[in-house]
Amino acid sequence: MRLSDEEQRMLDGVYGEMTRKNMKVLVTLGKIFGAERMIKINNVHTPGVSYRVTGDAGLNYVKEASQSVKFKIPATLNTIGIDYENWENVGFPAEFSNKQMELCECYKKMGAITTNTCTPYFVGSVPSFGEHIAWGESSAIVFANSVLGARTNREGGPTALAAAITGRVPEYGLHLDENRKGTHLIRVEKQPETDKDYAVLGYFAGLLVGQDIPVFEGIKSRPSIENLKALGAALASSGAAALFHMIGITPEASRKSDVVRSNVDAVMFGQDEHDRVCEKFYLTGAIDFVVLGCPHTSIIEIRDIAKMIAGKKIKTGLWVCASRQVKSLADTMGYSKMITDAGGEIICDTCPVLCATLTERKYQTVATNSGKMAHYAPGLWNMQPLLLDTSDCIKSAVSGEWRG
Amino acid sequence: MSEKTLKGRCIVEGETEGEAIVTKDPISFMGTVNPKTGVIIERKHEIEGSCLKGKILVFPHSKGSTGGSYMLYDAVKNCVGPVGIINRAAESVVTIGAIVAELPMVDQVDISQIKTGDYVYLNATEGVVRVVSK
Repeated sequence: MRLSDEEQRMLDGVYGEMTRKNMKVLVTLGKIFGAERMIKINNVHTPGVSYRVTGDAGLNYVKEASQSVKFKIPATLNTIGIDYENWENVGFPAEFSNKQMELCECYKKMGAITTNTCTPYFVGSVPSFGEHIAWGESSAIVFANSVLGARTNREGGPTALAAAITGRVPEYGLHLDENRKGTHLIRVEKQPETDKDYAVLGYFAGLLVGQDIPVFEGIKSRPSIENLKALGAALASSGAAALFHMIGITPEASRKSDVVRSNVDAVMFGQDEHDRVCEKFYLTGAIDFVVLGCPHTSIIEIRDIAKMIAGKKIKTGLWVCASRQVKSLADTMGYSKMITDAGGEIICDTCPVLCATLTERKYQTVATNSGKMAHYAPGLWNMQPLLLDTSDCIKSAVSGEWRG
Repeated sequence: MSEKTLKGRCIVEGETEGEAIVTKDPISFMGTVNPKTGVIIERKHEIEGSCLKGKILVFPHSKGSTGGSYMLYDAVKNCVGPVGIINRAAESVVTIGAIVAELPMVDQVDISQIKTGDYVYLNATEGVVRVVSK
């Protein structure tokens, strides 16, 4: 790897041991993946901020860094393990919460912006087309690459930290034009309409492509930002994809020939393929818990949920997960009250995938519109998942059951 | 007893040995594995219920959450993680975890040649995997 004089000084320890150690992590990674140089960046989104993810090992790793360095560039924080301002009421354990707050303080001390959300693009961190960034959070990575046309690899906690400390990432993978072409062409026959449909399509594609790049062809009506968020989150749960293209819709895919070779065979996504994914996440009977906002809701989603639930009373638990910034706007608009009056909770900073624990609530079944939540719920919390449209999620919350 | 030698590419240097645990399914250390016990918790995963402690973990590539890097590191620090990793094509999330955990790791290995229960001598520095089958 060719390093600039400044980068070499970082690696030589001129700026201290912690900068040296973190530059070494990036150089090691760059060598493995064949990077020829480092790229200067100005935007990091850090994963590995939930104490459930870091454990004590990661907490100590971050704490050690925080004792001697500051971030060189702006870095936002991903979802944490508690609702920071409301953890006691939600029922998160004090011991975990204290460790979580300690971890947050370490990041804050280094200069992190405590967004605590998986949707930094809804709270003001919107990289521009072609901008090189270092993002973690599997769903946000897909969104940044695919919907915004920014460029990031799948950064884990330690490399996002190193990127924030050094302002660099190794130039490999999705930073390079030649690695951003589609590898699999999916001909979409069964037209997606709802967030659930987009999640199903994303989940199907993730199983198909692994860590490669799917191209969706044949989607007739333009998806919303929220639809694209739902697709990406599911795609990065069943697989390791970091980028998709949608012909005529996403910014790098104006024409089919821009993103895929002419001789690639198409895989069909029809009703059967749709149904096979839905069967994985299906049940009938009592519903204990309903989760909306995985990834965190936009203000539009929370408005729609509020309108659907207004004046009703729910029988299940209901978490509507949002960044604190979106909740603040929802408070102003009266949406939050409509949801809490019905018996739901608006959860900030965290989510059922990354929170401290859900086990003492003893939920056995969960209805959700999120492919990501449906994927992780059985292994993490021993809950059987039911994937439904948002409106059906609300219906099941009100009736306390799903009869099909 | 039969023995064979496979070649791969060094990801993280080091030498280690242990019994192989092999899966054709990708793994996310956030969601597939409990970092406090080392047990596979993802439902319907090919090796659900198996424990990774002290094993050489053989799988195609990582998937899913980027939290997986710290969770692999945590599992190793908790002494319940694998002692080495062999991939078909290393993906960044597990690679980053292995770098900070200093866990010997190789990729570009024909993993279909390794079966669960085989004893594996992994020289990651040289990219050499010696497999002893019972």
